[in-house]
Amino acid sequence: MAPQQAALVNLSPAELSFLRSSLAQTPPIRLDVTKGPRDFRSMRAEYDVLPGANGSARIALEDGTEALVGVKAEVERSPQRPSLGAHGEDVDMGDEDVDESTGKGQNGWVEMSVEVPGFREDDSLPVFLASMLKESLLASGELKDRLYINARFHWKLYVDVLLLSPALSYPLALLSMTTHLALLTTDLPALKSEKDEDPLFDDDWDAAVPLYPKTAGKTTTDKPPVIILAMAVGPNIIFDPCKEELAVADAVLAVACTNTSSSSTGARIVSIRTIDPPSHLTPPGIPNSMNSATGGTAPTSSADALTQRELLASSGVWTPPRGGMKRNLISQVTKMVVESGGIAEEVISALAAIEVG
Amino acid sequence: MPVSILPPTAPLPPRRDATSDDSDVDMSDDELTPQTKSIVTPGEHITSDPQWMRGHGTYVPSGETTIISTVAGHMHKTNKLLSVQPLRARYQPEIGDLVVGRIVSVQAKKWSVDIAAPMLANLPLSSINLPGGILRRRTAVDELNIRTFFSEGDLLVAEVQSLHQDNTASLHTRSLKYGKLRNGLFASLSGAGGGILSRRGGVVRSRRQVFTLNTAAGEIDVVLGVNGYIFISKHIKPAQSATDISITRLEEGVSETLYSSQNDEIEPAVMREITRVSTLIKGLVACGMRVDEDMIVRVYDGAVELEAEERSMGGANGVDKGIGAKGVVETVLGRLEVEAGG
Repeated sequence: MAPQQAALVNLSPAELSFLRSSLAQTPPIRLDVTKGPRDFRSMRAEYDVLPGANGSARIALEDGTEALVGVKAEVERSPQRPSLGAHGEDVDMGDEDVDESTGKGQNGWVEMSVEVPGFREDDSLPVFLASMLKESLLASGELKDRLYINARFHWKLYVDVLLLSPALSYPLALLSMTTHLALLTTDLPALKSEKDEDPLFDDDWDAAVPLYPKTAGKTTTDKPPVIILAMAVGPNIIFDPCKEELAVADAVLAVACTNTSSSSTGARIVSIRTIDPPSHLTPPGIPNSMNSATGGTAPTSSADALTQRELLASSGVWTPPRGGMKRNLISQVTKMVVESGGIAEEVISALAAIEVG
Repeated sequence: MPVSILPPTAPLPPRRDATSDDSDVDMSDDELTPQTKSIVTPGEHITSDPQWMRGHGTYVPSGETTIISTVAGHMHKTNKLLSVQPLRARYQPEIGDLVVGRIVSVQAKKWSVDIAAPMLANLPLSSINLPGGILRRRTAVDELNIRTFFSEGDLLVAEVQSLHQDNTASLHTRSLKYGKLRNGLFASLSGAGGGILSRRGGVVRSRRQVFTLNTAAGEIDVVLGVNGYIFISKHIKPAQSATDISITRLEEGVSETLYSSQNDEIEPAVMREITRVSTLIKGLVACGMRVDEDMIVRVYDGAVELEAEERSMGGANGVDKGIGAKGVVETVLGRLEVEAGG
């Protein structure tokens, strides 16, 4: 389970209780009443912002959170592995004309770094964010194969993710969307040399080939994954929660999706993770009956306090959620994300529309 | 529109400030030259002409006559006085200000309270109303039980009682109007400052800061702290009628729930209206508008009307409203302007 943000929630028990009960209504009342449970916060996006990078993008949310991603590609010499069995295994040499690079990519060819202001490079939050982003990126295996040039050379992809503002809400979804847009607009110089020659590139930038090929005809090509944050409050599922909403979440799920290769609708999941909601660390509210300042009697021992708390029926007291996510809730979330016309499809098509328009 | 992604815009348009029709402190505004729109930055030489006097936000190096700006903001000329009004500033506490604060830490005999000022404010245990009447003596037991009154994260409304030399404020809650906040939502206008800045966005002093908003679902209390912190909550009617308790025993009637951190039963409709007001305040902030009672009431009514219209049209396409809170507020303000003009 990934750690939550280090900055603790600083809300009073009364506020937490109010937020939770409003989010648990049907339909949920979100902190921004103009938004429904499936609505994302509006954002502003642009791409090709960094002239020196192969691909770059910037997305700013309305609350001021802003992320910048640069993708830089370098040619690197692949280490020559000693082939013990000589050419014994290469019986299927003839098939390689179909696609030479399949299965030859390595995970190490993609390097990702995440910088969050206020956090050291080796703090848990940036490290986990980077590994989650990288994990979803490499999960499909198609990207790393595309980095293969020939037996001796490959592309090395550096993805630098920069959060420009303090992390107001859990920034994973924003960083992932920005990375998606940057990778979508990444171009690699066109290769002129053949086979195992030293790589020689076309110096005409117009001839560059996109890292993620555009849709050619009817065959849909794969797209970079995008991570969608979903949280559960009672029976409700809410997407793209803001900081205050996250503070009362029962459970938070990060679902990484990419488009399906078979059809143009729907999406498929490449990775899924639970995120420890900050609500687990909030102090519980003290009910009037246990508060000596409001005419109640303070419990004598902590065991006594626990018993009284368990028997508590009142709804106006904040109790931090316990336990994880229920199975049918997870299946409900994944269904809402991947179904045809689901959240993933909406996000991916909205990001694609930015690039076109 | 579950996901809306827009292309980037040019920097925000200048704030649409209401013309300063209020308080008497800004009488001199009429004499402002068009130059006030230009922005000066810290360290910028404003003038070396000795005829000018330096005002707020400027400084003169010793042995020189050059006036240098110390903040980034708009320059103001009042007769021969040059002052620079910062674009963003923290709240400067003044005695008597009504503020909303959040407890940051609990110490032996006092709390440290975040009131958006450069330094944390103090709330001594001796300046709160203890439950059980005003005449009760503060005892060592109360000191040990300090967390039962306020603990970390709790919101409270208080008044600035005194200022220390380093400009830290001491608060007090010795009135029935003040105390712990519950049954509602918190919102804030950041960087609005207060005082002289309150003309451009932010909460205005010397206006009504605590008021009750009538909604279809019920009454809602709004507390506008001078420091830009705002609390919106359900209006709680006093449980007993005033005739039951004598003036001297008023405290006892309230003390039951004075330090409660438990919410009362709130109807979903009221909850929705509270959230709506908080969303609209955020929208007002995003639009760079001033936040006061009049503005909140007008925008709230407009937003309710807008929603009713939308519902009667039967679909989102009926009424053209922008995206999110800012869009709604912009639409409402646009309509109000049209009404005012026609």
